Amino acid sequence: MYLDYNLLEKCYKCGACYDLCPSCLNLPGYDPRKVIGDILADNYEHWLNSESIWQCLECHHCLEICYQHYGFENAMTALRTLASKRGLTPQQVKRGWDMFVRTGKLGEPQSSARKRLGLPQAAESGKDSFLKLFKIYQDSKGVKT
Amino acid sequence: MKDFAVFWGCTIQARFPFLEVSTRLVFERFGLPYRDIDGFTCCPEKSLVNNIDHGLWELTAARNIAMVEEMGLNLVSPCTGCVSNLATVNKELCHDEAKKGAVNSMLKEVGLEVGGHAALHHLVPFFHDEVGINAVRSRVVIPMKGMRVAIHYGCHMIRPSHSLNNDDPLEPVKFDRLVEALGCESVKHRTKMMCCGQGLDRVDQHENALHMARIKLRELSSLDIDAMVLCCPSCYLQFDNNQFLMEKDGEKFGIPILYFTELLGLAVGYGAEELGLMNHRVGVAPFLEKWERIGGEGSEVGGLESELEDIGVFGL
Repeated sequence: MYLDYNLLEKCYKCGACYDLCPSCLNLPGYDPRKVIGDILADNYEHWLNSESIWQCLECHHCLEICYQHYGFENAMTALRTLASKRGLTPQQVKRGWDMFVRTGKLGEPQSSARKRLGLPQAAESGKDSFLKLFKIYQDSKGVKT
Repeated sequence: MKDFAVFWGCTIQARFPFLEVSTRLVFERFGLPYRDIDGFTCCPEKSLVNNIDHGLWELTAARNIAMVEEMGLNLVSPCTGCVSNLATVNKELCHDEAKKGAVNSMLKEVGLEVGGHAALHHLVPFFHDEVGINAVRSRVVIPMKGMRVAIHYGCHMIRPSHSLNNDDPLEPVKFDRLVEALGCESVKHRTKMMCCGQGLDRVDQHENALHMARIKLRELSSLDIDAMVLCCPSCYLQFDNNQFLMEKDGEKFGIPILYFTELLGLAVGYGAEELGLMNHRVGVAPFLEKWERIGGEGSEVGGLESELEDIGVFGL
C-alpha cells in the first residue's frame, strides 16, 4: 500500500466529496482535508491518536464522485494502519482482530438458535486451513510467532 | 443458471440467523440452485482486518474465492460487506498478476488456487439480473400495492463500482425496481443514499452511530413510511437494534425494518412467522396490519401482462 502524493495534493485542494461524505456532512469536526494537509506537510503524528481517522466509514462515496477515482479514504486507511501498528486501535477493532486471527471468523453460528429456527446444521468453518495459511503468511513476512 | 455457493458471512449466522431462514425460503420458492459449502471463513471484514493488515485481508478473501472456483460455482451473498470485500480483492488480483502469483504461491500450500473468474453477486442485484424482474413479479401472491417503503441500498451493495460493477454507484435503480415489482412504492427521500453509520459502533463511537441512525429515522418518521427495506446485516443492526435502543430511551420512530428476503418472502406467500419476523427488535406488526387491511386492493396485474403470462412469454 502506498499513497500517491500527487493525487493527495489535488485531493487537498478539491473537496468535491464533502457534499456526499456522510461523516463530513454529519459529524462536527470531521475534516479530511486537514488530515491530508498534515500528511503533505509531514506532520501527521497527532492524527494517529484521534477519533477522526476512524470516522471514515469506508462508504466509498468519495471514491465514486472523485474525478481521479481516488478519494481521501486512502489517506485514512494509511493512518489507521499506522495507528494499529502503534497499538492505538479502538478496543472493538482490537477485539475483532484478535477473534479473527484466532478463529478466522468474527462470530460463530449458534446451534441452539439454528435448531429453534429449523435451520440445518451450519457448514463447517475453514478455521484449520485459515490458521495454516496465516502461519505461512506470517513466516513469509518474517513475523515471529 | 450456474449453481452458486451462498456466502452467509459471520454476522448473519452469529447474530441474525432468522435472516438465513428467509433467504433460504426465497431461494427455494424460486427454485434456485444454491449450495452450502464447508470451509469458508470471514470474508474478511474490511474495517477490522484491512486497516491492520492489507496482505492478510487479501489472502483470506482470495482463499474464500478460490474455494468457490475450485467447485466450479458462482457465489451469492445476502451480506453487502462480504460481497464488496470479496469482489474488491478479486478485482485487485485480476489487475495485478504479480500479486496474484504471490497469493497463489501461499494458497498452494492449502491446496487452492485463485483465478478470479467466479461471479460474485450480492443477492439484490442477483435477483434483478439473474432471476429477473418478470420472474419475481410473476411469483407475487399478494401484491404490496399501497405499501410505502424507504429503500436503503447500503454502501457496499454497489460500491466500489470498479469492483462490483452492478449498478450506478451514486444513483442505483435495481433495488427500487425489485421492490416496485412486488407492488410497493419506493418513496423518494433525501437521506436515501446516506451511509447507515453502523461502522462507528465498531470503532467505539456508539453515540456517533446513534446520531447517524437518528438522522435517517427522523426523516422517515416524517414521511408516512410503512417500512425501511434493506439487505445488509450491518445496516440491519444499525436500524433495527439501534432504533430499538433509542426507543427504549424515549425517542419515537416506529419504523419497521425489513430485510429484502423478508419482504420478498411475504409477497410470494410465506407467513410472517415462517419467515422469522418475530425476531426483529422493532416490531413489524404495523406493516403487516396495513398490508392485510389493504391486501392487494386494486392491484390486479394488467390485462396485457396477464395475457402474455398465460402464453408463457415470461418463462420460468
